[in-house]
Amino acid sequence: MLTSFKLTRRNFVRAASAGALAIGAPAILRPAMAADVLKIGVLVADSGPAALFGPAQRAAAELGAATVNAKGGILGRQVAIVFADAGASPAEVAKSAVKLMLSDKVEMIFGSHDSAVRQGVENVVKGKLPYVYTPVFEGDDCSPNVYFLGEVPEQELQKTLPKLLEFAKGKTFYLVGNDYVWARTTNEKAKKYIGEIGGKVVAEDYYPLGAPNKFENTVAKIKAEKPSVVLQTLVGGDNVNFNRTFADFNLSDDIVRLSCLLEENTLMGIGKDASKNLYSSLGYFADIDLPENKTFIGELAKKYGDKAPQQCTISKGLYDAFIFASAVAAKSKSLGAKEFAAAAEGISFETPSGPMTMTKRHTTKNIFLARCDGTKFTVIDTFSAVPTQQSCT
Amino acid sequence: METLLLTQVINVVYEVLILAIIVLGLAVVMGLLNVLNIAHGEFIMIGAYTAYVVQKSGLPYVLAVPAAAGVCGIIGLVVERFLIRPLRYEPFETLLATWGLGLLLRKLVELGFGRGYRSVEIPVVGSLNFFGEAYPTYRLVLMGVSASVLAGLFLWYRRAPTGARIRAMVGNPVLAEAVGIKTRELARNTFVTGTAMAGIAGVMIAPLTPVEPFMGLAFIVNSFFALVVGGMGTVAGLFAGAGIIGGLQSVLSATVNPTTAYLAMLFLSILFLWQRPRGLFPRP
Repeated sequence: MLTSFKLTRRNFVRAASAGALAIGAPAILRPAMAADVLKIGVLVADSGPAALFGPAQRAAAELGAATVNAKGGILGRQVAIVFADAGASPAEVAKSAVKLMLSDKVEMIFGSHDSAVRQGVENVVKGKLPYVYTPVFEGDDCSPNVYFLGEVPEQELQKTLPKLLEFAKGKTFYLVGNDYVWARTTNEKAKKYIGEIGGKVVAEDYYPLGAPNKFENTVAKIKAEKPSVVLQTLVGGDNVNFNRTFADFNLSDDIVRLSCLLEENTLMGIGKDASKNLYSSLGYFADIDLPENKTFIGELAKKYGDKAPQQCTISKGLYDAFIFASAVAAKSKSLGAKEFAAAAEGISFETPSGPMTMTKRHTTKNIFLARCDGTKFTVIDTFSAVPTQQSCT
Repeated sequence: METLLLTQVINVVYEVLILAIIVLGLAVVMGLLNVLNIAHGEFIMIGAYTAYVVQKSGLPYVLAVPAAAGVCGIIGLVVERFLIRPLRYEPFETLLATWGLGLLLRKLVELGFGRGYRSVEIPVVGSLNFFGEAYPTYRLVLMGVSASVLAGLFLWYRRAPTGARIRAMVGNPVLAEAVGIKTRELARNTFVTGTAMAGIAGVMIAPLTPVEPFMGLAFIVNSFFALVVGGMGTVAGLFAGAGIIGGLQSVLSATVNPTTAYLAMLFLSILFLWQRPRGLFPRP
């Protein structure tokens, strides 16, 4: 075999140039390909305290991309997702966002993560490309070219609190939350609504975020104070811990609990023996009886089978982001900051939780008040098109 | 308000005892073998999942105790043979190795059970009147069990010959071997005991917290600080550490606020690491 190929100069040149062509060819083809595919950076929780939502977030985003692609993509281009982990520190995630922009050349960023990370990402994106932030958050952010799909406290509380009083024995409120911006802002806004309905806040407690918290102290205080409602802004494991401790101390019969971030996974953790008289106010529950939601959940089941991760408002928002972006782009015909922002104002789009309308870069949407029955949610009231009362221009 | 004070006092005792039982396994391994088992929290997590499985299959909850001790003990046995012993029980090497082990165990559990929260039902429901104040029965049971386990261990370590052998091995391994103590077996058994204890702690706390693959991380921090403050390798250190860290957190979070309590604990631990790294009651 070896003798049949002599390494002459001519053979060498021939082989080398063929090799160079083979290596060089994709570089020639690449720009043409890249122009076709529209890359979108999607920040999901692959690690960190919200890692629980990671698989569901990825599934919702992938279904969003597939749905948009089936209808011809965005601006006539097929979309492709580049995932990045949003579970690290804000500075780390900001670095990932820079990498998404410079090396992956994404043209939009969608993210489902906490506010500290959002601020880190905003500082590096600087409005250069559309950034769609999807989860529940505290509001009051008007960074340029950022679009908010999540529920703000005004939406979660304004109509829900008066309704909740129908189940409570009085109008005294005990507030308990994690010690960070979302919980503190939500409670400040809650105090206004509690005042409007003639209620009174008896005490408030804040627990450090991400610390190994125990809630016996607060529960003992609640037992002594006997409020009629406990308003919770605890997240994840702390939400589970608090509610289990609360029920262990036998308080769930007399005191109504409303959580501002209680979704399907957290309720599984709280369990059926601790969820009596516990309510949740959110813009989406996986069980809501809407045809769009049936399609959404059905498509996920088709794609992932039994392994389909549990959807909730935190993950489903990423699906909405694709629907939103494709609706805006269809109108703006461009992803330029100015055109996109102008087209986004007032745009309506259909999501699994019903229609949404973007007003001043925040989203008017349906809000559901659900009661926990065991480890399932029963929607007891739906408030249509609840405004955000945010005033970004 | 008097009843509130009483409840808060019980809460402090409860927090201290729970912390002591969580630290116990770590204290045994670290205090006696100088191995800081970073995967200690993951053994607690596996104990909690064992409790979950036992409860799901309809068996009595008490069975979870031997089951978790068995599962965690066997994992401990394998880990000792293939990770700790080849690294010759060197503190730094084993620290890194058990850190990696923690990652592996979390991922394995995630593969089996997913990332979602599981909840273990409280095995003993209801509450008991305790000096006129109702306190959840399960927590009282836990306090009782923790106190007896700790007392039992204390007595055993003082009186039983195995305790003396461990003390001899720790004090002077070469001499201990010379007088016929099988130090290799003894070290192995000590390590396995530590992991089995972590498993049992997992069973005890499983009904109180969300059971999920990352739950162990929350326990390792406080446990480590309790050891730092208390000092390693002594029973007095274990009680002092759990008492100070658990008590401080509980009292400050009841009287000031939980964030300050957490801050104070971190501050105290840093102070100890800096000024008195061997803790209050170190092994002489």
